[in-house]
Amino acid sequence: MVGPVLSPILLILVPLSAAFLIVLLSSVLKQHGPVLAFLALAAEVVMAISIYPAAAAAPIEVVIAGVRAPVGINLIADPLSMLMVLVVVISALLVSLYSFSYIRDEQKSRYSALFLLLVTGAVGMLLTGDIFNLFVFFEILCISSYILVAYHRGGLGLEASIKYLILGSVGSLFILISIGMIYGALGTLNMAHIGANIDLLPEGTRLAAAAFFLVGLGVEAAVFPLNSWLPDAHASAPSSISAVLSGFVIEVALIVMIRVAGSVFQITQVFPVLMVVGVITLLIGEFAANRQPTLKRMLAYSSIGQIGLILFALSVGTPDASSGALLQVINHAAAKSVLFLVAGYYIMRTGSGRIEDYAGLGRKMPVASFLFVLAFLSLIGVPPLLGFFSKFSIITSALSAGTVPSLFMAGLVLVGTVVEVVYFIRVMQVLYSSRQQSVSIESGIPAGALVSILLFSLAFAAGAAILTPLTQAAGSAAAVLF
Amino acid sequence: MRHVVGIVLIAAFIFYVLSLVSGLFIGPDPEAVGPVGRQVLEQSTREAGAVNTVTSVVVFYRGFDTLGEVTVLFLSALGIAVFFRAGGESANRAGTSGPAGNTEECGAPGFILRTGARILYPFFFLFGIYIIVHGHLSPGGGFPGGVIIATGFFVAILTGDRFHLPEGLLTVLEGFAGLSFIGLGLAGLFSPAGSFLANILPLGSFGTIFSAGILPLLYAVVGVKVAAELSGAVGRIYLDPEPVEEQ
Repeated sequence: MVGPVLSPILLILVPLSAAFLIVLLSSVLKQHGPVLAFLALAAEVVMAISIYPAAAAAPIEVVIAGVRAPVGINLIADPLSMLMVLVVVISALLVSLYSFSYIRDEQKSRYSALFLLLVTGAVGMLLTGDIFNLFVFFEILCISSYILVAYHRGGLGLEASIKYLILGSVGSLFILISIGMIYGALGTLNMAHIGANIDLLPEGTRLAAAAFFLVGLGVEAAVFPLNSWLPDAHASAPSSISAVLSGFVIEVALIVMIRVAGSVFQITQVFPVLMVVGVITLLIGEFAANRQPTLKRMLAYSSIGQIGLILFALSVGTPDASSGALLQVINHAAAKSVLFLVAGYYIMRTGSGRIEDYAGLGRKMPVASFLFVLAFLSLIGVPPLLGFFSKFSIITSALSAGTVPSLFMAGLVLVGTVVEVVYFIRVMQVLYSSRQQSVSIESGIPAGALVSILLFSLAFAAGAAILTPLTQAAGSAAAVLF
Repeated sequence: MRHVVGIVLIAAFIFYVLSLVSGLFIGPDPEAVGPVGRQVLEQSTREAGAVNTVTSVVVFYRGFDTLGEVTVLFLSALGIAVFFRAGGESANRAGTSGPAGNTEECGAPGFILRTGARILYPFFFLFGIYIIVHGHLSPGGGFPGGVIIATGFFVAILTGDRFHLPEGLLTVLEGFAGLSFIGLGLAGLFSPAGSFLANILPLGSFGTIFSAGILPLLYAVVGVKVAAELSGAVGRIYLDPEPVEEQ
């Protein structure tokens, strides 16, 4: 350890206590819950940044209740989990800044409490070293997402939320079955302990447990064919929530899924299958995105495409490809957040979700639309934006893996990129068309929201400038994975 | 026909899965307790100091999970509060008070039912508190005790007593109980033990009420939280909120 550091458990406790505090003080705070949430998340970012260097040097183990693992529960802060925690907490902080002006109803204190619990769930899933504890945080993450998707209580939101709830609950159940099988056979819940004893399991039990686990987490990670809930949920949630759901929630689930598959179940033999699943997810997502008339559904399908790309890169199974995947996670978290956050104000100002109604918005909201275009370009992978470097390293490492299937798959990934370009151009044509807007737009985007969008854009726009430390961080995180 | 095919396929799949995990449904064999279970059985009285080993596991060894479970409950109550919030769209709910609509259909609650229920409340409360306080000694604890207290509240709703939901009190209790759990845990983190949820109080004499260190305190907090959240969740669906006093 490098000097005294804060205990990583505070990363879980701070948002959780802030959520309890908002509810406790609801009669005093009234409409000021979001301020408290913002402060808590700011503290969270500071803590995560100060813990990261120590965790990158050597994994920090946190013992809970003074009982060492495997009897007790422990947390592990290593380069991978802390990198993802940083992505989560920084995104959450910026989105909560955006929410000040975007969420304006009388329940915003409850919204903030739910938002903090969502962050608690995501951070807990990343840090925990215990498979049942993982399930508990997974439930916290899922349930807060179900509620937030339907936050506006419109018909579409409720429908999407119920769909998400049903599929998500089945997924959770699968995870629980898997945990039950493992505990029944090995008598331990600690992930490292399971990993060390996995050979004691009969091959069938091991594969069955792994399959249940992968399918359960695959629902939340939106892997094909378990992702039918995503377009509805991400499209009808409030835009600030779409940004976090697409920006980090599905990625957290995916990273945890791959991590458990690789280091707990050690079933690297199924990675070629996951690779194919990843490419199918990518192609289906991109082709479906191309056909959407509404912007948020298009963005939601594009998230499916991106998750497919990340899954593909992770299941190539080399450190280089995984480091590219993590760069892509960072790029997608920033770029997709910008897209959803700007889309939120497009919808609010025009009162329509359809792309064709956004004619000329590029001139009415110049700064936001410029950042919107930039974010799209980074998702496609245009240099010198961060997306170029992440996609480039994914493709080159898939090519250098050298097997025939991986060459073929890399080709299909490029096909996905071409489709991305096609629907990007379609959106641009409308945004910058000279056709006049039928509704007049009185105002652009409030300053706070614009600052949040700008800061997100910095991540992928200036990502190339800090590429070396970023690649290093992604590299040391990827080393944990394999 | 399609149904039959579907059922056969599902049955075949289940049979296949079960054949893979033949050990799964074989009854608990004491010799087969895993390494962790054995260690807990050996150490729990010494480390946690509770007679009830189940409580040691729930509150001590896996206390962090329990914090998470309580949070899940908190989330559910919060979700219900979001969807059943006062005013606005609640106008389409039957009558001024939810249960009134139901009770009128099947007859208004009689005098005996109402009076009987009122006599029962203190006993629900007392029994719930007993179950919570003895959680580390006998079967029971915060979760069942909290449910019993909330049941008293449900009986009041079901027998058609009209009252306003004490929403302010419930939210204060929910938040306070959650923070107390974390506070007790943090006391462990900043104590010499240096570990979240570490037992910082003396274990006391084994088998008495004042034993097992912080375990009874944690379970009491869980009990308060469960009672407040279940009452709040059901109350928000069925009862009118307290009228807001204008200043």
